Amino acid sequence: MLRPAGLWRLCRRPWAARVPAENLGRREVTSGVSPRGSTSPRTLNIFDRDLKRKQKNWAARQPEPTKFDYLKEEVSPREHNLCVFFFFRNFPLALDLGCGRGYIAQYLNKETIGKFFQADIAENALKNPLETEIPTVSVLADEEFLPFKENTFDLVVSSLSLHWVNDLPRALEQIHYILKPDGVFIGAMFGGDTLYELRCSLQLAETEREGGFSPHISPFTAVNDLGHLLGRAGFNTLTVDTDEIQVNYPGMFELMEDLQGMGESNCAWNRKALLHRDTMLAAAAVYREMYRNEDGSVPATYQIYYMIGWKYHESQARPAERGSATVSFGELGKINNLMPPGKKSQ
Amino acid sequence: MSANGAVWGRVRSRLRAFPERLAACGAEAAAYGRCVQASTAPGGRLSKDFCAREFEALRSCFAAAAKKTLEGGC
Repeated sequence: MLRPAGLWRLCRRPWAARVPAENLGRREVTSGVSPRGSTSPRTLNIFDRDLKRKQKNWAARQPEPTKFDYLKEEVSPREHNLCVFFFFRNFPLALDLGCGRGYIAQYLNKETIGKFFQADIAENALKNPLETEIPTVSVLADEEFLPFKENTFDLVVSSLSLHWVNDLPRALEQIHYILKPDGVFIGAMFGGDTLYELRCSLQLAETEREGGFSPHISPFTAVNDLGHLLGRAGFNTLTVDTDEIQVNYPGMFELMEDLQGMGESNCAWNRKALLHRDTMLAAAAVYREMYRNEDGSVPATYQIYYMIGWKYHESQARPAERGSATVSFGELGKINNLMPPGKKSQ
Repeated sequence: MSANGAVWGRVRSRLRAFPERLAACGAEAAAYGRCVQASTAPGGRLSKDFCAREFEALRSCFAAAAKKTLEGGC
């Protein structure tokens, strides 16, 4: 709850550019309310979360919602494989952050997941979820302000939604907080090279047409930073993997229309409100000339980072003490003789 | 967006015709693209209106294609 002093300060200057960072951090939010734009240097505020919610709501209400699902359809089965095939365990309570219409849920079955919570900031996406056989609970929540207690979930998954989070370190810390010990977080998010063709084309066209350029593609996390962020949030045994999906489009305009249909339009505060038609035309021409395929289509690259992090538990393997080695690497060739009979690999 | 989205709808429908008209101007678009790409080579510098001539050709072709589709009934 906001302290009265903080509340008064907010009421006195309703459009205050300055909201004290410590008040923001201390809010216990039970619904998906995000802070207003703030120029405080300690608060990371890159994206307009209200606008993102509106964009996702709009996208979820489109007449053919499955038309733009192909990326999520591609990524969700891979995450599902990670859950099921590599971990050999079941998860009584699981959470899907930024679930959209619940793409991951349709691949899961009752043996793996007991109860599935689906959280998203857009209520329209939660209102028409995809079919699934596991019991689900829909929660309207912002990824940065999770309304769950400590040590609640055995599994948290997130598919292609963390790239719109303002304070990613904090979001990861919150995920770590709500996980039970020996719980796991499996995430997939867009990475640095995503849509680089579009970014470059727009940049070049805008420079040539208007003399300067402004960012139209939102900033992505670099893969090195991701490892550090996960470590800082407290996760153990990290795995970060990158993958690139290339989708071919007839042209730049179709790509932009699809991005809008997916709810992935730009919502950064520093976005320019207007993109001139001339610039769009120029960018489409540049895109086609610089990147086209043999058959005339243009590719768009989506770089996906898959990350896995565990919450610490005594049963987890730990690195051995330095100097405790009993065999040397030079004897690797004789490893079958060296291993005690009971411990042959499973 | 306004209540009935009239302006937005109109703008969007105009935008939706862009790919078709761009396809009609393939040569000019390619020329413009090549000019811009050439400026990205080492030693090149892209400044405002560096490829203005090519872009004017593209724009007039585009406008002509727009008129043609209008006359043809869209």
